[in-house]
Amino acid sequence: MSQRTEQPARKPAGPKQATVVCGVALAVLVAGCTGSDGTEPGAASHSAVPVKKGGNLVIGAEAEPDCADWISVCSGSIWGTYMMKTQTIPKVFDVRRKGPDWVAKASEMMAEEPAVAPGRQQKITYKLHPDAVWSDGKPITSADLKYTALQIRDGKDIFDKTGYDKIASVSTPDAKTAVVTLKEPYAGWRTLFSGDYGVLPEHLLGGKDRHKIMKDGYRFSGGPWKIQSWKRGSSVTLVPNDRYWGRKPTLDKVTFQFTADTAAAFQAFKSGQLDALYPTPQIDVMEQLEGMSGTNKLVDPDTGNLEALWLNNDEFPFDSLPVRKAVAYAVDRAAIVKKLYGSLGVEKPSQSFVTPMVGQYGGSDFSKYTRDLKAVDQEMKGAGWRKDKDGLWAKDGRTAAFTLVSLAGNKRRELTEQILQTQLKQAGFRAAIKNTSAAELFGKRAPSGDFQMGLWTLIDTFPNPALSNTFSEVSIPTEENGQSGLNFIRSKVDGLDPLLRDVDRELDEKRRASASLKADKVIAENVPSIPVGTVPNILLWNKRVGGRISLNPSEGPWWNLEEWGVAK
Amino acid sequence: MSGLPRLPARPATGGLRSRRGQGRQVLGYALRRLIYSVPAVILASFVFFWAVRATFDPLTKLRQARDPGVVRREAARLGLDRSVAEQYFLWMKAFVTGDWGVSTRTGDSAQSMLASALGTTVQLVFWGVLFAGVLALAIGTYSAVRKYSLGDHVLTGFSYLGVAMPAFWLGLILIQLLAVWPKEQFGLAQPPLYFVGLHSPGQSGVNADYFRHLALPVLTLTVSLIASWSRFSRASMLDALGSDYVRTARAKGVPPRRIFFRHALRNSLAPFITVVATDSALLIGGLVVTEQIYAIPGMGRLFLDSLLAGDVYVLLPWMLIVAVAMVLFNLAADLGYALLDPRVALR
Repeated sequence: MSQRTEQPARKPAGPKQATVVCGVALAVLVAGCTGSDGTEPGAASHSAVPVKKGGNLVIGAEAEPDCADWISVCSGSIWGTYMMKTQTIPKVFDVRRKGPDWVAKASEMMAEEPAVAPGRQQKITYKLHPDAVWSDGKPITSADLKYTALQIRDGKDIFDKTGYDKIASVSTPDAKTAVVTLKEPYAGWRTLFSGDYGVLPEHLLGGKDRHKIMKDGYRFSGGPWKIQSWKRGSSVTLVPNDRYWGRKPTLDKVTFQFTADTAAAFQAFKSGQLDALYPTPQIDVMEQLEGMSGTNKLVDPDTGNLEALWLNNDEFPFDSLPVRKAVAYAVDRAAIVKKLYGSLGVEKPSQSFVTPMVGQYGGSDFSKYTRDLKAVDQEMKGAGWRKDKDGLWAKDGRTAAFTLVSLAGNKRRELTEQILQTQLKQAGFRAAIKNTSAAELFGKRAPSGDFQMGLWTLIDTFPNPALSNTFSEVSIPTEENGQSGLNFIRSKVDGLDPLLRDVDRELDEKRRASASLKADKVIAENVPSIPVGTVPNILLWNKRVGGRISLNPSEGPWWNLEEWGVAK
Repeated sequence: MSGLPRLPARPATGGLRSRRGQGRQVLGYALRRLIYSVPAVILASFVFFWAVRATFDPLTKLRQARDPGVVRREAARLGLDRSVAEQYFLWMKAFVTGDWGVSTRTGDSAQSMLASALGTTVQLVFWGVLFAGVLALAIGTYSAVRKYSLGDHVLTGFSYLGVAMPAFWLGLILIQLLAVWPKEQFGLAQPPLYFVGLHSPGQSGVNADYFRHLALPVLTLTVSLIASWSRFSRASMLDALGSDYVRTARAKGVPPRRIFFRHALRNSLAPFITVVATDSALLIGGLVVTEQIYAIPGMGRLFLDSLLAGDVYVLLPWMLIVAVAMVLFNLAADLGYALLDPRVALR
């Protein structure tokens, strides 16, 4: 998912589409966080500070979710996930670091890793932990998994049915065992009951209006925290779930205070009204960080956020491979990334459309595209283009001029566009900047292919490769697929779809990774679009805050909030 | 709502004779004004409805789910497949029967969202208008009485500065000067004034915490009001002090204090109150920047959030509330004018 402009809500991608185009789901943006579950600290982690028992913290939240019914369309903001869902809804898999990779690991709700029986109809057996209970003391059971699966598969106004739409049946041989049978092999099966959704309590919601019970915040919990209150427009307050069977929170209370204005939020942080911030990395955030001393900060480029130049392969001039290659040679991606994030120590551009969070599935094939004006000339002249009197490439009476669209009001992107405009002009291309709102761009223009070049972010929120969502021919929005595809760039690359299909269906991880690497290579050869850089995540906290603090690119900065506390 | 009909206040020819007669006249006038306002509000609401419908797609969020069936069902339920005029009629019919619809953003009742936001904004407006009104009147009066003195020039300079300062910039400056800087300078555990929301977590009600939160937003919204109102107050007071009845009173030897309070001040108040009431109505929907900076969930912030989300079912009643506020405040201004100035008749 992606980001809303002025109010950057961060929305995780749907189950299948761990990768979603930023604006598409119009929600996400920088999904960030990192983390380690103790297996291994993340690249961006902070040594644990001793904490005392009890106390309260107030954390700034730059966006307020529209609702807390996590499977409904209204649950578009990833801030809701970070603040409430992660803390209260149990899930089958956690996302944790294993060596250099982020992987899905069975959560405390599970007695063991789910077992997968491959075949034409893939069967997944889930064994729940005997101690796992809801906050009212009732056990978490297989009926809860069944209820959740069917609510998503069969429900109306569901945010994303990916993966659940493959469910043929769910059986519950006993209270702690659920068996899900899929209609076909699905490599992304780990996203089921994980990622965005988790597991909901059947005994509290079954036969009732789930949306009504959950949308404004709910009283039940299967996580370490409970929602004490959600004051619309103001704050969300969490208190410990006394019945949580795992590690219980150290703090007595955590309040997330909605502070939409970035500048005021930084002032509130400096003044001590807010103990921690997780700001969207805009340009002014960089400036604020430079002038901020005496606070703790983590900056992590190891995220699921990938900013890219999206080229409409159906539109002139990007319907030509030489032109796409020439543009790739014209753009100095390293300079752009250095300009945007150099002050944070992030200087390397992305060399793949696979984000760092699922880095094991991606290569570095785009590294051959560095700024090289001779290569631009070679590509363009080879395709019959010649420069006109204005120094622009021209062919058959048409010049290489196009529009570049992004989200209006986003300073970081506006700066990127200005740099791009200059670089492209030097290479003989004219790019006119025409920005618009997120709703317009991702609701209308991008899905209908009404753009030439775009700049937005693709987000992964679960360690599951999903290049097919963006590049597969069957993902082009059409009447046939109900306009449900995310291949806004209309890419049709020969030989790519079979590889992407393997990535989606292959249950053997090695073969799956191999297929993904091959797909990545084919993408780089055909340049359907151009990756620019990952968007780093930033977490700030003051000296009052202690505990083990690190970033988790999937579950948010407060993935282990129960370990946070007031520093001794 | 500048196009709302407003009856001219005219010198009385035999107007407010008895208390009973005065009451009847005021009531009749108020009713007539309200009735006359209805067409204007309806016209404005239609124009707004048309503009909103032409600009925003209430199904934007649903389209993210990419389920054409859901989109079609919802479009039919909301009547989006009909003409704008039909949609407007349906919406207005529902509105007057108390069904204001449901926010496409949150799924909450638009009525409850607006009630909550309005309640918050009214608090800001109340304290802001009270503070700015008293201060502007005092400054304007002082400037008029000490016309062209050093004090008058200084206050005039500050007024121009106050009018020119953008709210977002002023807000951030005030936060830095009155909250962040003192905390850092004096090593305080907490800043002397807060600037996130109207209460600290766990607090509620009207108490010290509330006023520590309220001070900066009220100051932000009142600086420009004080600046413009004080200029108006000064001009109004100068008019009163230069009027024939004041000169006559002076000639008759009426003590200056009595002239000032009984004649000049009372008469200068009437136009001042009109301006205050009109501007107050504008504040009901106009505190977008202030509420955004200080994270206050009022009408301005609701408007901004709804606008960004294309939440037409909140935007439409929002507009009506602001329009009605304009009508009511204008009416209150005229009634106040008439009560303060016996020469004015209400017709």
